Amino acid sequence: MRSRWAPPRDRARPDAVLRLAVRTVSEVCLTAGTLIVLFVAYVLLWTGVKADRAAEGEMARLRDSWAATAPQAAPAAAPEAATAPQPAASAAPEEPRHPAGRAFAEMYVPRFGPDWVRPVLEGTDPELLKKGLGHYAATARLGAVGNFSVAGHRRTYGDPFKDFPKLRRGDEVILKGAGTWYTYTIRGGPLRTLPTDVGVVDPVPRKSPFTAPGRYLTLTTCDPEWGHSHRLVVWAELTGTRSAGQGGPEGSSR
Amino acid sequence: MYGWIWRHLPGNAWVRALISLVLVLAVVFVLFQYVFPWAEPLLPFNDVTVDEGSGATP
Repeated sequence: MRSRWAPPRDRARPDAVLRLAVRTVSEVCLTAGTLIVLFVAYVLLWTGVKADRAAEGEMARLRDSWAATAPQAAPAAAPEAATAPQPAASAAPEEPRHPAGRAFAEMYVPRFGPDWVRPVLEGTDPELLKKGLGHYAATARLGAVGNFSVAGHRRTYGDPFKDFPKLRRGDEVILKGAGTWYTYTIRGGPLRTLPTDVGVVDPVPRKSPFTAPGRYLTLTTCDPEWGHSHRLVVWAELTGTRSAGQGGPEGSSR
Repeated sequence: MYGWIWRHLPGNAWVRALISLVLVLAVVFVLFQYVFPWAEPLLPFNDVTVDEGSGATP
């Protein structure tokens, strides 16, 4: 019906001009509405699809690299297994530094569900956080003395830390490095704090229950769920390590 | 706008409908592939780290 509407300009009447105006406004509104709906679908659904795909890719690459280095890592890990029950001992295993942007560990949080697993990448660049969790590059290495700090999305990009407020003292956060499982137990949080509160990732985190140096873990995400005015933080302490050959601890079936 | 596009598409109504569908899909693809990834960081969901407010690692 629109295709038939093309009056010559000299015969244009006021109601025709009005019709053109109304139609143009309607079309613009419809277009804007469709754009908004599409954008919401993108943010809520498509970023999750992309993030899941990227996380799976990262973990496949990680497992390939572990499989490639396993023959050398296995004999080295064996003597450590004997000392494994003493996590505070100086001989406890530690992960080496990793190049930025590379996934180097898997994180399991039983509280988030038995199937919850995410890769941990080196660095907290927003591009990296689209693929998994990000390790603050300036903080301690996995398993080392200091504060191994990890950030993750609360919402969008797969909602990895959606259930962050459900974490309680005593919950376990399990990380798998190249040849070792690290079990951290939550001792403090979730604490709501300000984005500028960088002390929470200090080697002995400020506001945490810890007072002396140790092997700590800090997780951060945003709060409120869809906002960015605050951050949620939990702190955990290394309570056990075991070599990969012994199989994973409870709650990490894979 | 849409009327103008429709009038300028070639062929009969079926061909025009098919071309319109292809155009719509192309627009959605460009939006999801280029426009939305650019616009998404402007929203606050990326701010999950603590920093000195420098914006280096939002």
